[in-house]
Amino acid sequence: MSDTSGLAVDMRGITKHFPGVLANDHVDFSVRQGEIHALVGENGAGKSTLMNELYGLVHADSGEVFINGKQVHITGPRDAIALGIGMVHQHFMLIPVFSVGENIMLGREPVTGPDFYDRAHARAAIADLTKRYGLALNADSRMGDLPVGLQQRAEIVKVLYRGANILILDEPTGVLTPQESRELFGVLRDLVKSGKTIIFISHKLKEVLEISDRITVMRRGKVVGHLITKETNEEEIATLMVGRAVLLSVDKKPAKPGGVALKVDGLTASSDQDVPALKGVSFELRYGEILGIAGVEGNGQSEMMEVLAGTRRATGGHVSLGGRDITTMDARTERDAGVAFIPEDRRGTGLVLSFSIAENSILGRERAPRFSWRHIVLRLVAIRDWARGLVKDFDIRTPSIEVAARNLSGGNQQKVIVAREMGSRPKVLLAAQPTRGVDIGAIEFIHRQIVKERDEGAAVLLVSAELDEVRSLSDRIAVMYEGRIVTIVGPDTPEERLGLLMTGGGAREGVA
Amino acid sequence: MIGGIIVLVTGANPLGAYQGLLCGVGILCGGGENPALELSNTIVYLTPLITAGVAVALPFRAGLFNIGAEGQLLVGTIACVIVGTKLGGLPGIALLPLELIAGMIAGALWAGIAGVLKATVGAHEVVTTIMLNYVALWLIRYLIIGGPLQAPGAFSASSPISTSGRLPTFFPASNTLIVFGLPSSVFRVHTGLLIAFAAAAVFAFLLWRTSLGYELRAVGQSQKAARYAGVSVPRTIIVTMLIAGAFAGLAGAIQIAGVDKQMTDKYFSDTTGFDAIAVALLGLGSAVGIVLASLLFGALHSGGAVMQSDAGLSSNLVLVLQALILFSIAGNFVGQIRSLIPGLRPPPALPSELPPAAPMMTEAAAPPPETA
Amino acid sequence: MSALADIGHLLLTPGLWQATLAAAVVFLLPALGGVTSERSGVVNIAMEGMMLTGAFFAVFADLHLHNPWLATIVAMIAGGLMALIHAVVSIRFRADQIVSGIAINIFAAGLTVFLIGPLYGVNDVGHVTNDELLPNVNIPVLSQIPFIGQVLFQQNVIVYIALILLVLTHVVLFRTRLGLRIRSVGEHPQAADTAGINVFRIRYGAVLTSGLLSGLAGAYLGIAISNTFVQNMTDGRGYIALAAMIFGKWTPFGAFVACLIFGLGEAIYGYNSFIHISPYLLKMLPYIFTLFVLAGVVGRATPPAADGLPYVPGSE
Repeated sequence: MSDTSGLAVDMRGITKHFPGVLANDHVDFSVRQGEIHALVGENGAGKSTLMNELYGLVHADSGEVFINGKQVHITGPRDAIALGIGMVHQHFMLIPVFSVGENIMLGREPVTGPDFYDRAHARAAIADLTKRYGLALNADSRMGDLPVGLQQRAEIVKVLYRGANILILDEPTGVLTPQESRELFGVLRDLVKSGKTIIFISHKLKEVLEISDRITVMRRGKVVGHLITKETNEEEIATLMVGRAVLLSVDKKPAKPGGVALKVDGLTASSDQDVPALKGVSFELRYGEILGIAGVEGNGQSEMMEVLAGTRRATGGHVSLGGRDITTMDARTERDAGVAFIPEDRRGTGLVLSFSIAENSILGRERAPRFSWRHIVLRLVAIRDWARGLVKDFDIRTPSIEVAARNLSGGNQQKVIVAREMGSRPKVLLAAQPTRGVDIGAIEFIHRQIVKERDEGAAVLLVSAELDEVRSLSDRIAVMYEGRIVTIVGPDTPEERLGLLMTGGGAREGVA
Repeated sequence: MIGGIIVLVTGANPLGAYQGLLCGVGILCGGGENPALELSNTIVYLTPLITAGVAVALPFRAGLFNIGAEGQLLVGTIACVIVGTKLGGLPGIALLPLELIAGMIAGALWAGIAGVLKATVGAHEVVTTIMLNYVALWLIRYLIIGGPLQAPGAFSASSPISTSGRLPTFFPASNTLIVFGLPSSVFRVHTGLLIAFAAAAVFAFLLWRTSLGYELRAVGQSQKAARYAGVSVPRTIIVTMLIAGAFAGLAGAIQIAGVDKQMTDKYFSDTTGFDAIAVALLGLGSAVGIVLASLLFGALHSGGAVMQSDAGLSSNLVLVLQALILFSIAGNFVGQIRSLIPGLRPPPALPSELPPAAPMMTEAAAPPPETA
Repeated sequence: MSALADIGHLLLTPGLWQATLAAAVVFLLPALGGVTSERSGVVNIAMEGMMLTGAFFAVFADLHLHNPWLATIVAMIAGGLMALIHAVVSIRFRADQIVSGIAINIFAAGLTVFLIGPLYGVNDVGHVTNDELLPNVNIPVLSQIPFIGQVLFQQNVIVYIALILLVLTHVVLFRTRLGLRIRSVGEHPQAADTAGINVFRIRYGAVLTSGLLSGLAGAYLGIAISNTFVQNMTDGRGYIALAAMIFGKWTPFGAFVACLIFGLGEAIYGYNSFIHISPYLLKMLPYIFTLFVLAGVVGRATPPAADGLPYVPGSE
């Protein structure tokens, strides 16, 4: 690989250690000028680390980097920007309380007088850029008020304003609707036409196949494949990513729905920002079925799960569990009534990271008679026995139940939560993003557990941002849009149709 | 030891300083000091320190900084003095517990103000407890300088509490009985020490063996997780502060009933509640650690007096030492410096492992805007 | 009630309002420092200690150099050095910023009293003569305006400087490129870093600024309001400044309003002979004010998003 002509980026032998992790292991990565190059791999495969090195946020232990054929040493984002490299991060680098203009200008602000920020100049510069690339944006809007799609657009304009020719996009579609994703792809194609080079990080294989020219696959810090998009397919990439053949579907028998477990009627609630998030949600969930919620994130799914679990107050409507009104119950009473909840935020909400597995295994049940004498004094022996049982039954990989949750892998952390919530034999299981950020092996295991729970008669409500997961697990799919359930359809509904329903399109139809 | 360097720089005799420290625990005293007396003084000093240390360590576990142990201790002394003087006719078996309980209630209420403000409107407890410290300080001045507790004829002191309401000392208060070469009355070690040990034990039991302690620690580590578990975060914050205040108030009551017998201007410059912060941090929030750290600070203080005469040092050096200890704990310097040695470059960035936040307002009252 | 009449009479006295502004400036300077520091994302409860150190060295330097201006500069440097410790500990070593702040305050309390011995030989600092104090300046013409003239234009020179710094802090924070960068670092350091802004340099600068301002406040306290150094002479004013900053929602002018309220509390104490209440009870007023302010008004205030969070490059 001595010929570097035509290569926009050429990284050779990149190695990076983090404490206990080899994030990049002699990685070779090259991107041609004017192509869309996809970098794929599971969470923790080292994609983001590699790109953070290219952008100067992280420094590699060893290796060489060539940009447009010239060897460079990138010591910080400033260097990367000077070399024409721009990065759109997975978690946007935007400041909600700043205006769009201030966000875009930050670091390269136009100045007048001694050091005054030149608002008029900023506005003009942004108008010029947005016109050139067809990306409409109002420079004076407050960033926090914009929808996610526009925030991402602002990120792209920010990068272009800095004169980037090589754009790195880290999981850009994770927060977008299918329609927004399509728009983004249009923008990316236009950018390539005007001479830009794009690196597209993703784990969504369908998108990768749709948008990229070439693909680099990473697994556990190593590059395991260089592919040409036209000559490959989803199965081949998935197998490379995981290192073995992957079952892309879930094996399950038809559901045998029983009586109504949860009846939700006209439920309303507000978000953390005190704006209405649920605007009258109604549905019925039966024992022995999995009801999946499809929807673009931020349409009220999180708030709905929290209200149902008792950690958020409803502002109106009713929820009943087997005929008993549980609308105003707090989390503890609901848990005692048989409602289990796998929250979407594993590290912050579902676990106390500094607590041991044993301590986490009773989170929310520390006053249950089984675990405390007169609700006051903890029964340490009973707690340890219980935790050991869970570790065994749910295959949690850990040397001991005294290990702090912080020191477990993401998959095992999630298993601790799943074990705790399922281990109490709930009547209703609320599962929010149960496999987010978890490796494929753990995903398969958790999916099997959810189906098993259903087969044993529990009512399961599943919220997931991964449409594939919703479609493969659910017995019925409820589509949620702007705080309402717009329709309930069967699990075989085509993805395109679901995508349309999720964005408020499509005719209303009766309950399937 | 940085402490030794500071001592050297200021031209005093460093060996003398360390020797003073050791003398504080009863060994290696120079000519003139009585080891037994020094040890006695150390214990007298560490007794309220253990109890007040608990008052800082417990909220710390719940993610709360109780900088107000001093103020809580002061109102504890006030309550103890009021009970000990106004109900002086009661027999000791009734009066002594009443004094201690009054001190605990007063301390609990004082801390409870900060707890309620934190739990309801999110006022940061560091600021509120400090304000309450100053209010307590000026309240004491008011009470014993021209105020209702001033003893007739005294300028800035209250009347002494009834003799029946005093904690017994281990040695009889006799000027004729000679112990360790000195009259036994100079050994002020009193039974409050047992109460202090009991407080440390209660603290450990509460924290590790009860559901309340479990919930308190959960609140301290992750309020979101605590809410998810069904724990009422505001209630836990208030209860924690009430218990902590009770411990600090108890420390004050012990100090009156065991040592001082009356309120004097000595309390205008008392620092027990502040030393307790260093004790709690140095003791790493464990009961045994608190007892050991209290022993160190007790020795520093009683040794400080020795240092002053022997090594030409002001006992205020103790404050400087405390600050250095705090810095080193805060910065986890040992770990940091160790990580610096191999390549002399910044410690590797751990992905997404930020230390807990210390925003000036609670999340409960003012959720910081999520970055989209 | 005669007490009410007393208070009414008191409120019409220009001297009370003059004293209010004079006292408010002791809070205002560290509060401006706090605003700067916390806007950059570093929680600073160490203004108390920085101010105390400043006061000590102002008095010390003035007694030896016989020049209040040089003494003021020495005080600011002393405050700045304390701030540097806080900055290194909390930015470089990513320590808990509240623990570090408490340590600074304890350190300052011990250091200043400890140094009295070696530096003066006796436990008494000595007094600065009146002509070597920071001067009071009556602005020509304006100071002759009835009532307002006395309140606003017959003040110590530091008061005028503080008011200029108030406007300056506001303009820098909200109108300039530097201010935009400071606020971006306090809101979202990762975003600032990826935009090529040096997060650490901005934070060091902001914390040092808070030290310089607190040191200046210390000089004002030591060689303008008073003429000597007394153990713990700041008496929690740094913490009150912190409360003023929170009350003012991390804005300079908001903090100034709060400082005036606290200043009034202090000023009333000076006029205690007007109202027949124990001076010790009056002394509690500013602290009780602070509690009420924190209880009543502040609940909804939102600090900078990254306030108190150490920045770890490359983290998300």
